[in-house]
Amino acid sequence: MKRYIDFYLTSMKIAILEQFQYRAQNYFYLVGVIVEPTIYLVVWSTIANQQGGSVGGYTPGALAAYYIVWTLVRQMNIVFTPYGWEDRIQHGRLSMELLRPLHPIHNDVAYFAGWKVVMIFLWIPVAVGLALIFKPTFDPTWLQIIVFSVAIWGAYLVRTMIYAVLGLITLWTTRVSAIFELTFAFEMILSGRFVPMTLMPEWVQRIAYYLPFQWTFYFPINALVGQVRTSELLGGLGMQLLWILIGLVFVRIVWYFGVRHFSAVGN
Amino acid sequence: MAFATSLRWEIETTVQTLTLIWSYLRIGIANELQYRVNFFIQLLQSFIALGTGLIGLWLVFSHTTTLAGWTQPELLAVMGVYILVGGFIQAGIQPNMQRLMTEIQDGSLDFALTKPVDGQILVSIREFRFWQLTDVLVGLVVLVIAVLQLQETFGPLQALGFAVALLLGGVMIYCFWLMLTTTAFWLIRVYELVNLFQGLYAAGRWPISIYPTWLRLGLTFLVPVAFAVTVPAQALTDRLTSTTLPGALALTIVLFVLARIIWRLGLRGYSGASA
Amino acid sequence: MKTTIINATNLSKHYKVPVREAGLKAATRSLFKRSYKTIKAVDDISFQIEPGEVVGFLGPNGAGKTTTLKMLSGLLFPTGGTPDVLGFQPSRRQADFLRQITLVMGNRSQLAWDLPALDSFDLQRAIYGIPRPEFEKTRDEFIKMLEIKDLVQKPIRNLSLGERMKMEIVGSLLHRPKVLFLDEPTIGLDVTMQRRIRSFIAEYNQRTGATVLLTSHYMADVEALCKRVIVIHNGKLLFDGMLSSLAERFSGFKTVEVTLTQNNGGMDQYGQVLASDGVHVTLRIAREDTPRMTARILAEQEVEDLTVEDPPIEDVIEKVFAQNSAAA
Repeated sequence: MKRYIDFYLTSMKIAILEQFQYRAQNYFYLVGVIVEPTIYLVVWSTIANQQGGSVGGYTPGALAAYYIVWTLVRQMNIVFTPYGWEDRIQHGRLSMELLRPLHPIHNDVAYFAGWKVVMIFLWIPVAVGLALIFKPTFDPTWLQIIVFSVAIWGAYLVRTMIYAVLGLITLWTTRVSAIFELTFAFEMILSGRFVPMTLMPEWVQRIAYYLPFQWTFYFPINALVGQVRTSELLGGLGMQLLWILIGLVFVRIVWYFGVRHFSAVGN
Repeated sequence: MAFATSLRWEIETTVQTLTLIWSYLRIGIANELQYRVNFFIQLLQSFIALGTGLIGLWLVFSHTTTLAGWTQPELLAVMGVYILVGGFIQAGIQPNMQRLMTEIQDGSLDFALTKPVDGQILVSIREFRFWQLTDVLVGLVVLVIAVLQLQETFGPLQALGFAVALLLGGVMIYCFWLMLTTTAFWLIRVYELVNLFQGLYAAGRWPISIYPTWLRLGLTFLVPVAFAVTVPAQALTDRLTSTTLPGALALTIVLFVLARIIWRLGLRGYSGASA
Repeated sequence: MKTTIINATNLSKHYKVPVREAGLKAATRSLFKRSYKTIKAVDDISFQIEPGEVVGFLGPNGAGKTTTLKMLSGLLFPTGGTPDVLGFQPSRRQADFLRQITLVMGNRSQLAWDLPALDSFDLQRAIYGIPRPEFEKTRDEFIKMLEIKDLVQKPIRNLSLGERMKMEIVGSLLHRPKVLFLDEPTIGLDVTMQRRIRSFIAEYNQRTGATVLLTSHYMADVEALCKRVIVIHNGKLLFDGMLSSLAERFSGFKTVEVTLTQNNGGMDQYGQVLASDGVHVTLRIAREDTPRMTARILAEQEVEDLTVEDPPIEDVIEKVFAQNSAAA
């Protein structure tokens, strides 16, 4: 166990050091990331103003709160893409990772975690700027803040699992970009990335409840900025945990059979 | 006499450039035709993007009837232009800029710089991703559908305005991309620029009049998304004022000159010239 | 009339590079304050090259050979000195200058990866504006010389490293340049392929009288192609002259190989024994003593064969660098 902690801390340190080298690049990235929610925010605020002050129960202030917190949650749930897995497998780099005594997914999780620490610090001035411009309104309780802090890491892990499973499919076949793209599309709609889930029609909300996507976006954001009951907060964390466990199981299965197939066939 | 020789040189250079563009186009297409599978992958991606776009539009219109004065078919037209222009950018502009970024980093740019063709021209025309044109196709279909619904306000004048606006917007986007990529000479690792641009371009999905003034200004003069998407859409929906197109022309010229200056600065830095 | 085609006077290239130590503390410090160090990649080098010469630039990695080449081809602005190539100032990159030169980099490719070489050749034609009949004649001539007729139709990615390099060289010479800048052209290739490429370059030089500047750390390249070498180390010019006199200048010894008719262990009286299996003996004898010693060996021993050679150039060069590093 201590070895794992040591590995994680060292990996995170390396990640932070690397990111320091490319400060400009990180800022470009950050700007690219905040444009997206700004667009959504403006669109929905416009609609809210047109409809006399609110749309679906969200005032422009509430929308601003939602999308500003969105930017942090988005940063937190960026993970190694399935295309990255495909690339890694195709170029034989996976073979190198297999030689390490630690499962490669630890490397990814640790490295990205370090990167996120840097991003959180870079994000703070950006969030302050956005708050001054868009004037969010929200009033979280202490419990909400605590649950939020846990939920953003939970979101990170859930999403890591989802995309790891997808990416590992490339151990069998490489013609799967269609599956990736479809998953991205579903995630866009069903995660709360485009709009808060409560602005979606009822039947969509019901479907989304049983899928992992909204627990990576909508749940953490809403935990902080919404009017959420304690039972919903804790239930949400529970769902995240559930999906992490399901994800872990799938990753192990896919990994085991995938590596066997790959070693027999691949390079 | 000197004027005549200089003019002749200009004509020769233009002819050579056009010949070169044609050569690269042929190679690009020949290259892509080898991978017919990519056509279907591209088509699928275009349809998925179209699908999510339409869902977004539908969601918006489940809560309202107009958005900042734009009706549903008009917003559909905006989306059509967005996809169409996006296709051209992905086919002709972005691949060249990405290649330039890579070559600055690994030194292969040296090959381009020892050729007797102007460096900026060469690095801008080398790549052409033929299959990305599926977006152009999809965008056109959406446009046609939108325009059919807008029959009352659409005529040959609008079509002309649309074509001009499209051309100017395209040139502006090229200049912007070039300036952004040229920063690779100083910052070296700039792959995030691709991300940045795609993020900013996504703002063009909606008419820029919905954005707060400061953002609107940014999307007009800083990142010419407005001119790439909204202005052509305005041309289609008969919203152009008498100053829009001349303004676009002026801005295009300014950006073109600026891009050239920054490119030359970058090149001098790359070659280690003391500024 | 000026006969020098390349003229480098007091050529220098200095770089300022940021320095930083490892660790988190140093990294944070570097966010606020950066410290720099000046590296002299090329330090006051001068030489003249006549048309038709094939000159080798020798030196260990990082010596400044590639930097010099880049300054002469216009890719880098010199920090000091004004190079003159073909009467042009290279860094001005005029089209007429660029049309007469070519750059080949051994570890980088400029041909389209997924297409047959023929298509890339056609692109070169378009870029250099070579009239079609002339282009086809040159192209077919080169294809014949390198025997690559069957390979030019295959996509580059399907070729081996050596075959790819052949294509690269052909592609870079289609416009019949007068000056060739070759940067490690045979790196990574097997011996046969290296020889093939070398003989092609030599033939091109003979047929067209082109001037060739070649950098390599393979002695075999230089020995095969260049009569003249310029040795660069730590950015400084150590030697500029004939390859044959390099050994003479820097090595006070000659290598004598003797084949005896029967075993003899007492050869060490003539000089230092480098290797011996009793019958084949390799001796290292001081240059001044060599005529005398070889005469003695022939008189006193039963000799079947005897050759006198300069020490392998590698050893000479290695010694030169070692000396130079120790001094610097």
